[in-house]
Amino acid sequence: MKFQIEDVTVYFPYDYIYPEQYSYMIELKRALDAKGHCLLEMPTGTGKTIALLSLITSYSLSKPQTPIKLIYCTRTVHEMEKTLAELKLLHNYQIKHLGPQARILAIGLSSRKNLCVNPTVLAAENRDSVDAGCRKLTASWVRAMAAENPNVPTCQFFENYERAASAAVVPPGVYTLQDLRVFGKEKGWCPYFLARHMVQFANVVVYSYQYLLDPKVAGIISKEMQKESVVVFDEAHNIDNVCIEALSVSVRRQTLEGATRNLNRISQEIDRFKATDASRLRAEYNRLVEGLALRGNLPITDNWLSNPALPDDILKEAVPGNIRRAEHFLHVLRRLVQYLRGRLDTENVEKENPVSFVASINSHAGIDQKTLKFCYDRLHSLMLTLEITDTDEFLHIQTICDFATLVGTYGRGFSIIIEPFDERMPHIPDPILQLSCHDASLAIKPVFDRFQSVVITSGTLSPIDLYPRLLNFHPVVSRSFTMSLTRDCICPMVLTRGSDQLPVSTKFDMRSDPGVVRNYGKLLLEMVSVVPDGIVCFFVSYSYMDGIINTWNDSGILKEIMQHKLVFIETQDVVETTLALDNYRRACDCGRGAVFFSVARGKVAEGIDFDRHYGRLVIMFGVPFQYTLSKILLARLEYLRDTFQIKEGDFLTFDALRQAAQCVGRVIRSKADYGMMIFADKRYSRHDKRSKLPSWILSHLRDVNLNLSTDMALHIAKEFLRKMAQPYEKIGGSGRKTLLSEEDLEKDGRWRHG
Amino acid sequence: MNNGAGRRINGAAEEDDDEDDVNGDLDAWERTYTDERSWESLQEDESGMLRPIDNQALYHSQYRRRLRSLSSTAARIQKGLIRYLYIVIDLSRAASEMDFRPSRIAVIAKHVETFIREFFYQNPLSQVGIVTIKDGVAHCLTDIGGSPESHINALMKKLECSGDSSLQNALDLVDGYLNQIPSYGHREVLILYSALSTCDPGDIMDTIQKCRKSKIRCSVIGLAAEMFICKHLCQETGGTYSVALDESHFKELILEHAPPPPAIAEFAVANLIKMGFPQRAAEGSISICSCHKEAKVGAGYTCPRCKARACELPTECCVCGLTLVSSPHLARSYHHLFPIAPFDEVTSSHLNNPNCKLQRNCFGCQQSLLDPVFGLRKQTRACRCVPEVQTNATC
Repeated sequence: MKFQIEDVTVYFPYDYIYPEQYSYMIELKRALDAKGHCLLEMPTGTGKTIALLSLITSYSLSKPQTPIKLIYCTRTVHEMEKTLAELKLLHNYQIKHLGPQARILAIGLSSRKNLCVNPTVLAAENRDSVDAGCRKLTASWVRAMAAENPNVPTCQFFENYERAASAAVVPPGVYTLQDLRVFGKEKGWCPYFLARHMVQFANVVVYSYQYLLDPKVAGIISKEMQKESVVVFDEAHNIDNVCIEALSVSVRRQTLEGATRNLNRISQEIDRFKATDASRLRAEYNRLVEGLALRGNLPITDNWLSNPALPDDILKEAVPGNIRRAEHFLHVLRRLVQYLRGRLDTENVEKENPVSFVASINSHAGIDQKTLKFCYDRLHSLMLTLEITDTDEFLHIQTICDFATLVGTYGRGFSIIIEPFDERMPHIPDPILQLSCHDASLAIKPVFDRFQSVVITSGTLSPIDLYPRLLNFHPVVSRSFTMSLTRDCICPMVLTRGSDQLPVSTKFDMRSDPGVVRNYGKLLLEMVSVVPDGIVCFFVSYSYMDGIINTWNDSGILKEIMQHKLVFIETQDVVETTLALDNYRRACDCGRGAVFFSVARGKVAEGIDFDRHYGRLVIMFGVPFQYTLSKILLARLEYLRDTFQIKEGDFLTFDALRQAAQCVGRVIRSKADYGMMIFADKRYSRHDKRSKLPSWILSHLRDVNLNLSTDMALHIAKEFLRKMAQPYEKIGGSGRKTLLSEEDLEKDGRWRHG
Repeated sequence: MNNGAGRRINGAAEEDDDEDDVNGDLDAWERTYTDERSWESLQEDESGMLRPIDNQALYHSQYRRRLRSLSSTAARIQKGLIRYLYIVIDLSRAASEMDFRPSRIAVIAKHVETFIREFFYQNPLSQVGIVTIKDGVAHCLTDIGGSPESHINALMKKLECSGDSSLQNALDLVDGYLNQIPSYGHREVLILYSALSTCDPGDIMDTIQKCRKSKIRCSVIGLAAEMFICKHLCQETGGTYSVALDESHFKELILEHAPPPPAIAEFAVANLIKMGFPQRAAEGSISICSCHKEAKVGAGYTCPRCKARACELPTECCVCGLTLVSSPHLARSYHHLFPIAPFDEVTSSHLNNPNCKLQRNCFGCQQSLLDPVFGLRKQTRACRCVPEVQTNATC
């Protein structure tokens, strides 16, 4: 269908549109008009992705004189593929209606691991070794060697791509990663470098968050993207954590040992080069005198991704004299590693801010701040000069240099925390030095500054006013949409008491109370007997889950649960969890029924959907607060309070509730689906906690369901499941219009304008 | 239509009967809490006021659905008139739950009885068998046959529930029986499922495919909630899946299975069936009944081929295996092929129009149609009472 939103003709590939999609588009268009950033919350399963894609591409089509580019960031490769598939559908529809002028180029960009077509490189198991394998075949000096000696292996796909040079372009169209691989194989061109090359010409680019946020890889866009771009962060409820992780470094004993090994190897290499090819080292020295900025004209395969989070002057300034020579730089690094090792040998927990840490490095190891700042780039330069291709071996020394650069660059928003052991296991010494970033706005600032519009969207962004403060930006539009439903297909409940009327909670002083544990067990036991197929349970932490399952096992509750449903448990081991999930799904499929025990903030809570019969009920046992004694969290809270005036309690509650909303949101992925959500903790009934849930959950949380005991919840569950099992009518009858056709929109438009 | 009140009266009456034996260990206040469920008949409206549950909307949508299915069958559809139906009754632990009054199994038994009678009334040429699932094992309670009384009697004797439920075992058993049915018969299974899980010895997906291959139409009526595997089974084999809201809804759902379903296209080849139309024996004549193996006096039928005596029609001759029917049976089956046309709905404003020539009273019950009107037949008019009259009184 096609319709007008103000002056833009929107092409939408389906015959009907949800009302909330329509209002979402209107808000989005206003933000684009204002060339500002926006924050939009809309529940999952209402077609956010297609609404976004459809409006932005149509907006661009209707204003051909000022074309805008869409940069769409997703969290996972799977979501990337889904987005591109939707875009393909939309693109076909637009071409059908507008003809060839609607042609766009849309590509997905991912790491070499997902795009490489060279079978020998792909054989490597992880991302870093695929990257290294590729460099071994495509680095400029390897190719130069291959030109003289035909026995040196190269990658024929990359050679073909280089030979085609500027002729190597992708014709317009929408390419998923799979399509790119097929296209690359067909033409004999390397899909990875082709995609990287095409990124600057494409109208739509879909890739993961890291390409924009992680300074180590963001360089790829920092020079190629135009200002007139719209950046979309989808599923962005954890964007502040992504930003923080991108700028945090942790150093352990192993890292330091590895770094020492790396340094020895580098020093051997230097000796070798001195003996054979001293001129290279001299050339590098000269280049460094002129400044790092000159690195720009290195060949594409040698180009390491530069660091946009660094101030510009680093790139222009000359490298300080004391690390220009390779041997001197090595000495500096050795001293740094030695110093860090000394710091790790501590008995107490230490917390420092970067300024005093740098001062202490200066006095003990004689390395000044400016030198530290240049470590990362100096290491790259050195490794290129030494023609080191197996970069995956050198991760440890890279971590150290990363650390040095960040410490040297930022005086605020970071802290250095040294812990001699893990708090949960105080007898095992496991010293760790963490440079933790507290300010999410640091990593995302370049993105906000650079691009015309940044759209942050997710199913759970509540409370919506906190995100602008955390990320330090001013949205022109921030709105939260609710879901229009033909029936009340979600049933959130707050369970505060067990059937014996004792309150339940995971508050620290109550959690191990046998009454609470028993009531939680009874709740699950009652629920497994009335809920069909799959049930998902989320606990606040692994240790709590282990404890409670042990108790249930001892008291025989677990056995009774198993009479109704099979039990699967998430563990910290990825393979084991995948296997458990797989079997869980099979048990749901064949009608045996299953319960999955999982942990909020775990892998399962973030990325796995429990839609349809895989999750008819989700129980959130407790409020998933972060581990409040963690030094890093305390430091961050302090920083947030001092800088952004966000109270500790507010932030903790916000963070816990968004995790809870994220967990319970796993059960419903479309409007035809249905599911129940039980928040089992008395604290959820308090207004300050509850009000931080997203509005689409709150609007279904009726006052009667706020203070339930187990037996009342059981009764509501029975009624709800019976009601939902009745045949589902897609177009809501009797006044609840949830699908709009083209005519409806026209009528609505006339009414709005006239 | 407000069954809340009705149920409450029922509930109160039953409470007096069985309070001592069932709820002996509960306190009086607990008993009212668990038994009466007075809150069930109330719901909260937008402003937080309490009001009785409004079932009108629900019934109206059900009515519309029936109307739609009726209009879709108005086109000539081949229907399977000779049906071989197995009723599978789940007697697992879950069937003894008390959320239906007095218990699920009592409600099931009551309505299965109505259903079996209705089924034979509407499909005189068809046959029924009963299978029960108990302790994870499926048992054949009655072999497939045409006598409603024998099935009902057998069922009423066996209503104890225990153990788990196994869908696969039941399907395997039924599949084995139905495979021996002659090719003109339509194979159907109606599963009344109380449990919310199934404990199977093997892969149930294989069993479902087997049923699909042998053209068995499986329908399920659930009593608690929607289960994926049941939905999948019905989708694969072309049956219907429904879940009962309460007792009256359950009755409605089970009776929906009484009229014959459309035939499976590839299976419905035309062929000839040999049938005998036996004569009714003279009053007072004594002969040995072939079904009961004893001498009986009068009121029997004599097989035209082998002259054996059968007690009731329709049946299969025990001696020569000929299908014995009477011509009214054939005629009664026949009316499914020519269903009555769906009714046009007439708004009351149309009726109030003085120019309107239509009668203002119901054709069936003679009540005024100026009350809210549900349906109107093409030439004559009738309120909703007529479709029931129609199905019960024609032929």
